[in-house]
Amino acid sequence: MQSWRRKSLWLALSASWLLVLLRVFPLLRLAVPTRPWAGAPQGWPRWLDAELLPHFSQPGELPKDDLQPPRGPRGGSCDWGSCFDVSKCRGGRLKVFVQPVAGPISDAHRGILASIESSRYHSVSPDEACLLLGLEAPAGECSPVPPQWNGGRNHLVLSLHPAFCPQTFQLGQAMVAKAGPTVDTFRPGFDVALPLLPEAHPLRGGAPGQLGQHSPHPGVPLLALAEERGGWRTAGADSSACPWDGRCEQDRGPEQTHPGATLPNATFCLIPGHGPDALHFLQALQAGCIPVLLSPRWELPFSEVIDWTKAAIVADERLLFQVLTALQEMPPTRVLALRQQTQFLWDAYFSSVEKVIHTTLEIIQDRIFGASAHPSLLWNSPPGALLALPTFSTSPLDFPFYHLQRGSRPTGRFSALIWVGDPGQPPLNLIQAVAGSQHCAQILVLWSSEKPPPLRWPKTAVPLTVLAGQRKASDRFLPHTAISTDAILSLDAHSSLTTSEVDFAFVVWQSFPERMVGFLTWSHFWDEARGGWGYTAERANEFSMVLTSAAFYHRYYHTLLTHSLPEALRTLADEAPTCADILMNFLVAAVTKLPPIKTPGGPESQPPAQDCINQMAAEFGSMPLVSSRLRLDPVLFKDPVSVLRKKYRSLEKP
Amino acid sequence: MFTLPQEESRALAPCPGPASTQDLDSNYGDGLERERSRKPDRKLPELCDSTTMLSSDSSYLSSRGRVIKWFWDSAEEGYRTYHMDEYDEDKNPSEWEEEAACVIMCASVKYNIRGPALIPRMKTKHRIYYVTLFSIVLLGLIATGMFQFWPHSIESSSDWNVEKRSVRDVPVVRLPADSPIPERGDLSCRMHTCFDVYRCGFNPKNKIKVYIYSLKKYVDDSGVPVSNTISREYNELLTAISDSDYYTDDINRACLFVPSIDVLNQNTLRIKETAQALAQLSRWDRGTNHLLFNMLPGGPPDYNTALDVPRDRALLAGGGFSTWTYRQGYDVSIPVYSPLSAEVDLPEKGPGPRRYFLLSSQMAVHPEYREDLEALQAKHGESVLVLDKCTNLSEGVLSVHKRCREHQVFDYPQVLQEAIFCVVLRGARLGQAVLSDVLRAGCVPVVIADSYILPFSEVLDWKRASVVVPEEKMSDVYGILQSIPQRQIEEMQRQKWSSVSNPLFLPLIPPQSQGFTAIVLTYDRVESLFRVITEVSKVPSLSKLLVVWNNQNKNPPEDSLWPKIRVPLKVVRTAENKLSNRFFPYDEIETEAVLAIDDDIIMLTSDELQFGYEVWREFPDRLVGYPGRLHLWDHEMNKWKYESEWTNEVSMVLTGAAFYHKYFNYLYTYKMPGDIKNWVDAHMNCEDIAMNFLVANVTGKAVIKVTPRKKFKCPECTAIDGLSLDQTHMVERSECINKFASVFGTMPLKVVEHRADPVLYKDDFPEKLKSFPNIGSL
Repeated sequence: MQSWRRKSLWLALSASWLLVLLRVFPLLRLAVPTRPWAGAPQGWPRWLDAELLPHFSQPGELPKDDLQPPRGPRGGSCDWGSCFDVSKCRGGRLKVFVQPVAGPISDAHRGILASIESSRYHSVSPDEACLLLGLEAPAGECSPVPPQWNGGRNHLVLSLHPAFCPQTFQLGQAMVAKAGPTVDTFRPGFDVALPLLPEAHPLRGGAPGQLGQHSPHPGVPLLALAEERGGWRTAGADSSACPWDGRCEQDRGPEQTHPGATLPNATFCLIPGHGPDALHFLQALQAGCIPVLLSPRWELPFSEVIDWTKAAIVADERLLFQVLTALQEMPPTRVLALRQQTQFLWDAYFSSVEKVIHTTLEIIQDRIFGASAHPSLLWNSPPGALLALPTFSTSPLDFPFYHLQRGSRPTGRFSALIWVGDPGQPPLNLIQAVAGSQHCAQILVLWSSEKPPPLRWPKTAVPLTVLAGQRKASDRFLPHTAISTDAILSLDAHSSLTTSEVDFAFVVWQSFPERMVGFLTWSHFWDEARGGWGYTAERANEFSMVLTSAAFYHRYYHTLLTHSLPEALRTLADEAPTCADILMNFLVAAVTKLPPIKTPGGPESQPPAQDCINQMAAEFGSMPLVSSRLRLDPVLFKDPVSVLRKKYRSLEKP
Repeated sequence: MFTLPQEESRALAPCPGPASTQDLDSNYGDGLERERSRKPDRKLPELCDSTTMLSSDSSYLSSRGRVIKWFWDSAEEGYRTYHMDEYDEDKNPSEWEEEAACVIMCASVKYNIRGPALIPRMKTKHRIYYVTLFSIVLLGLIATGMFQFWPHSIESSSDWNVEKRSVRDVPVVRLPADSPIPERGDLSCRMHTCFDVYRCGFNPKNKIKVYIYSLKKYVDDSGVPVSNTISREYNELLTAISDSDYYTDDINRACLFVPSIDVLNQNTLRIKETAQALAQLSRWDRGTNHLLFNMLPGGPPDYNTALDVPRDRALLAGGGFSTWTYRQGYDVSIPVYSPLSAEVDLPEKGPGPRRYFLLSSQMAVHPEYREDLEALQAKHGESVLVLDKCTNLSEGVLSVHKRCREHQVFDYPQVLQEAIFCVVLRGARLGQAVLSDVLRAGCVPVVIADSYILPFSEVLDWKRASVVVPEEKMSDVYGILQSIPQRQIEEMQRQKWSSVSNPLFLPLIPPQSQGFTAIVLTYDRVESLFRVITEVSKVPSLSKLLVVWNNQNKNPPEDSLWPKIRVPLKVVRTAENKLSNRFFPYDEIETEAVLAIDDDIIMLTSDELQFGYEVWREFPDRLVGYPGRLHLWDHEMNKWKYESEWTNEVSMVLTGAAFYHKYFNYLYTYKMPGDIKNWVDAHMNCEDIAMNFLVANVTGKAVIKVTPRKKFKCPECTAIDGLSLDQTHMVERSECINKFASVFGTMPLKVVEHRADPVLYKDDFPEKLKSFPNIGSL
């Protein structure tokens, strides 16, 4: 009995346990907030009646709304359309008049004035100007309301330095170009954000970027931190988890302190975002150190046109640790691209006061142009918008710079531009040699001699046009409308070239359309004895200029030389033909930062007659010329192989 | 001055990936302070590359899924810049859950084991008592289980799949009249002031996580609905979010919250009550991290350009923002969705001439503007077409699909494909649905709407795909468009840029002082290797020599046997005999310039090598090599052919001796398209052709051949056995070119006719005055 009872009890117990197990396990499973079974995430429901739902607007609804009059701007705030009168800019061209400043002006002001006067936008009369520019007075003094203020309409108040006079006069509808404006007061598309420049920022030219190589050197520290007093503190890669002042005092081992305003030597530069710390920002750009801005409260300079995502990193200061990890793990491709972009931006827009001023005006000109302004690509890739004039074209492929970037090469043929000076001898042999080239599209003779041009010209396979010159050396670099091709072969009447030399040089130019490709070379050197630059026509192992008496280059350089260089430089070039040669070489080198290319052939070179290289260097603010040690020859040039194999065999004649 | 391995390297990973370099590091670490070894395979997703803007195609604005994708990409970019990495300080809640679940399970298992063992030890009386009690409890449990959990568990099992219910069945929420209303939108909001990044901590793969509130129906005190429950478009939008990687169903892990309250069209909702509904959301918290979608903001008479519903700190993705209401870097401007073009399939249309130059298709245009348009039409005749709504349509024809000019009837949106430029004129609202139609039709939009923030303007460069004309210039619009060069119009029509993004785009001539690193790949030809080392060490700009020992069965010679040279010499042993080992980005490479050189190239003179380095400095983004080769199109066979004849053209250089930037080693090892890298290793051939393809493809530039050198001859190599072997070799090389061209999808190699020689090469000039007098031939 007992045992039966016990057995039955045990049975009941086991049965109950079985039930418990059966019941409780599914319950437990339910108790765990379910990860759904693999492959079927719980999401927004698929409504059975999704197809029956109403549209968010009925087709008839919109037109009814649309019969409202267009609205004007609201009071108080300004944007480009409402507060700037574009119609005052005749022909869509920006003309700037600088308001005279009462009292003595500082050096910085003088610099700004000079750079505006040197720009192509300067106007001497307030009546023909469509932008009146007011300079913010030096710190401490506040200027009175200028004449012709007109509520600030079509005015630009420029303040390069942070000591901005508060409420000098009611700014009203005036645009403000100010260093490091705070995000809250900045009016995008209307105000212009400037970089905060150091006191001793060079007026012109400016220091080149410090980047010596594309990729970071393996030994270089990962981070440099901007310090409050100025200067940088570098942190090794290992200590990067604890880099910030006051956050991690105990770990200061591998860090070094660099007092003073040295440039940071690191891959990334951490810059706190509280104040407009643009000094550090510019230093980082110059050094090729990728700026990492921690929650900046100020608008990045020229943010309207510069795509800062390609050159800097804006991060949230609240997530410092994550930022550091991300920087450490950033793929080399991105580091490489960011580094190069910092350098390009520094050289293109920030390295001198003149560039900053010109960029500001260029932005406003772009707003006036509207549809025919610089595309973003022109602003954000070398050589930059200041050197790619939108008046020439807005299509990148019309410029010489973007072909190689896009893997394309200019098609078409070339125009030979022959300059005939005194004694006015028609260059008949040269014409025949050039016209014999399969790539020649037209021949233009620029007659710049006292003698009248002959009435009869030899019959050529290509059209020949005679242009009347003004008998000035810079004539040859005018953007003549008769030039119909991208490539120009610039020639002097006394040059002598063979058809084969011309053919080969043109094919080479197609591979390097942004450079000058020539036959005769000069080289420049630093003359210790005279303490200045010198140049020589002697044959040497390297060269830095090719003579425009026989050279291929892109026709855009005619436009650039005529419209963007200061008048003083062109006058200099008119004084002597050699100066014109040097000017063209300076210009192309300043734009491309690359040496010209020499191909075999050409006559003996003339020794330079007059020294203008030092004046040019002074006007440019630096020496842009770059030396090369190579010559591009045909692949089988002077090789001991059968002449029949060679395409350019007549090049090899002694 | 050189270091050699002290011990055999450990068993290395099968491929010489990053792990093996680390091993090498640890083995050959010679007291030199090592850089933190990078792990190239562990990488952040690259930020959205703005060069690919607008790249996909014109129809991206038409499909809502893509709109969402665009939105998220742009939002994510903004987000990523703020939030650079995962936030992993807190424990991931899913781990907590798993742990909690485990504790429960383990506890019950323990109880199971102990239970029966405990009972027999009790006294029988007590035992009966306990057992009875237990049974009753058990029965109760079963009963509750039957009644409570049974039906529920059936439902919840189907819950695990996507729910299928009717919108009409959603729960109703009654909003009391005095429930709180959020503050109006705060115009000064920026990411660092109004956005809580700490909520975005749980984001594996650096994706923000988005939570969607479940759908409710909101009614006021008297039971009148606050708005339409949900529109078809908003439903599709939420579905797209839910289907994306960004979606999370866990409110605790979410970084962004999307209310299911539909505010796409302000006309269909009651402003105050909708605001109240927003305020009672469970995580509302002044709208922090909440995202609202709105396409038609404002209402008569003043038509605000942003949603009028008070929304405090919530982010707004809105159509029709103006510069006055748009919070830069915080709000997102989205296109106004057009239901029309989604219904009609438009064929793809390439760039080229069209029937009309300028077309205006909007039906409701302000009379002043219509006058301007009509004037344009009168002046320019056939090339301008101004359409209006049709008044004389027969019954049953959908008037929204027709546009008329006098009595001529046109199909809309098909007619948009007939024009080069299409006017997008503002109405009372700035955002116009016609923009979506126009883009989808491949017409270039001419946007005439002052102060309008174009959709996704933070990431898209609209200048590339549209023309923006001030309202004031409306009457000059024809002239403005005429002045745009044809080439640019075609680029706009294409709406994309086929640019190669050269990774070394900055014109920069590296300083000569940096020098180059020579990398010699060797197997076992020690004698020849030593000669190469001796020869190369004579080059002035050599800064380091790296020997890649590719033979696993044989140890490199002992330290003392190696030639003594003036620069550091390092030996790297590889795990496998692979050709790609020569292009591995070894940490030992400290210079930018790399000279890859075979262990049998002894004929190159010191002058030739030094000159090659100088040429590389002028062309640091190119392959600079000695013997050149050419690819040709074989018209008979209809495929590419490898050419080693001495021709006038060059498109490749051999990497038996070539200078290049060390970055290309990284690209070769980690970014080589397709299976090319493995294919080369398997075939033990064509690594040089692969390198030529890679560099040309990424830079778009040709190689530079240096000096007359046409072939490498090695004295130790016996003449190749007859012509047949040579033939096989050529066939194999041709196969490589065809294989690579198909993997790259294009033929990237560029043909040039020049080579680089020293300035005075073979000139009539005293040899001793030349910098590089000793240039070998052929």
